Amino acid sequence: MKLVNTQEKAVIRKDFHEIWDSKMARSTLLIVPLILVVAVPIVFLAVTCNVPESQVNGMENIMKILPPEAKSFSIQQASFYIMTNMMFPMFFLMIPLMVSSVAAASSFVGEKERGTLEALLLTPMSLKQIFKAKVLGCIFLSGIITAISFVAFAIVVTVGDILLQMPFFLNWSWLVLILFFAPVITVFGVVFMVCASAKSKSYVESVQTSGYIILPLLFLFLGEFAGLFLLNAIHFLILSAAVAVLDVLIWILAARSFQTEKLLS
Amino acid sequence: MTELAIHTDQLSKAYDKGVDALKNLSIDVSQGEVFGFLGPNGAGKTTTVKLLTGLLKPTKGQCAVMGLSPSLRQTDVHRICGVMTDSARMYGQMTGMENLAFFAQTADMDEKEAKTRAEELLKAMDLWNARDKKLRAYSTGMTQRLSLARALVNRPKVLFLDEPTSGLDPENAQAVNRLISSMASGQGVTVFLCTHQLRYAQDICERYGIIEKGELLACGTLESMSKSAQIYPKAAIRVKDGDELEGFARTDGGWWQTDLTQEEDMPPLLKKLVGDGHEIYEARIVRPTLEDIYFRYVQIHGEEALS
Repeated sequence: MKLVNTQEKAVIRKDFHEIWDSKMARSTLLIVPLILVVAVPIVFLAVTCNVPESQVNGMENIMKILPPEAKSFSIQQASFYIMTNMMFPMFFLMIPLMVSSVAAASSFVGEKERGTLEALLLTPMSLKQIFKAKVLGCIFLSGIITAISFVAFAIVVTVGDILLQMPFFLNWSWLVLILFFAPVITVFGVVFMVCASAKSKSYVESVQTSGYIILPLLFLFLGEFAGLFLLNAIHFLILSAAVAVLDVLIWILAARSFQTEKLLS
Repeated sequence: MTELAIHTDQLSKAYDKGVDALKNLSIDVSQGEVFGFLGPNGAGKTTTVKLLTGLLKPTKGQCAVMGLSPSLRQTDVHRICGVMTDSARMYGQMTGMENLAFFAQTADMDEKEAKTRAEELLKAMDLWNARDKKLRAYSTGMTQRLSLARALVNRPKVLFLDEPTSGLDPENAQAVNRLISSMASGQGVTVFLCTHQLRYAQDICERYGIIEKGELLACGTLESMSKSAQIYPKAAIRVKDGDELEGFARTDGGWWQTDLTQEEDMPPLLKKLVGDGHEIYEARIVRPTLEDIYFRYVQIHGEEALS
């Protein structure tokens, strides 16, 4: 059985075309991941490698919260370890969340804003098919960009690990982040945006709304960075399961709210 | 008996704010008929099209397109319908060809079939030379023609056209009208044409419905509506300069006019005038136009509303 049929494939392709054609969406989808997972890690790596250890203040307290395998690290290694395992995961997770919500904003709200939704609703495709094609298209796009971003990030961090003579960064936490947390967050970003699109009048407004869903993520990692708690693979696994349940609930809600008359009102 | 393509029974739509967009509309349109749905902007024409295509759900009454309920079997209705409304826009960043091929694919055609269909329609709509231009670079007239092509992409049995000639120059408007007529006569396509351009409507429609403020004022052929509005054909006679016709009103160019109850009254009238010694240079029947009938109904409705 095919995941998508000819009609749905046409909608997905058309949505990609539209997203790519929007300068704003295109720059968000390309520049933001580049900054978050390539530029920032490179800058941080350069700073870590070039600033003498004697000039780094306050590391003693941070070193105390490090897990046992990082206790023996030098200050340079420890600071890079902290960034790789506490700061960069947040930056990294912002990518699926942002890409999915920007794609969904363009696909759902953008279509409404440009007045093209009615023509699409008049095709012999069912509402269910249109919804499915649009949601899957956004998830697919987000998945591709997230995967490419991770490869780019992995290259930068691996170079850092080699330069600082540290073990390979990929641990259980990162694996759970990549394989479970990022996909459920992607779905969350898309379906949240579908729900929000019912209220948003413009693409820009809906993208602004997506800012709210980044906040929980921000608090989670800032809490960790502040030493309030330390997240490991099990925590991420539990969080992934919780977000997956949330995904199912808002998927049902989003599918229900996806009605012709509501969409055109 | 001719099967019905469109049937509405007491079809009504009220919006949330208590606005009655459509009140108790009951009309039947036979298969292969070109039906003109006439009324000013905001009369309820677009609401009717949206109800008939399942984009809106009726608050009262029911409707069917080729026997299918649009609100219950929206997808099936869309499979046999083509809809062109001003609010259903196409994709500006895509070319004319890409747009049509996309809509053909949504009608379940594979890529090759969709491309062939798009090519056919672009040629038929005289848009072949602009096929690789982005839609946003199209003129209003070209966009209208491409929208019509989109409505035709799935070879519909019923075509809903909402102001298809608005924004078109007379030449293009005539070409579109010719195409609509040929589809109805040649392919048996039923056309539900919403317009306020009465002259174009009279050229191509067989029956009409006049709607104002959501209410159907009249429905029928030109003849039946003119009879019930009591607008009669006129006998126009041109006689020798200086001659006067009793019971006739003088109009421009030396013509005299009088009402006829029916067209059959013309020959006896002419006989009588000749018998009375009048020299008749020219004689013709002036039939009421759609415009005359439309404004008469609007006037009657206005008077009824006031009383």
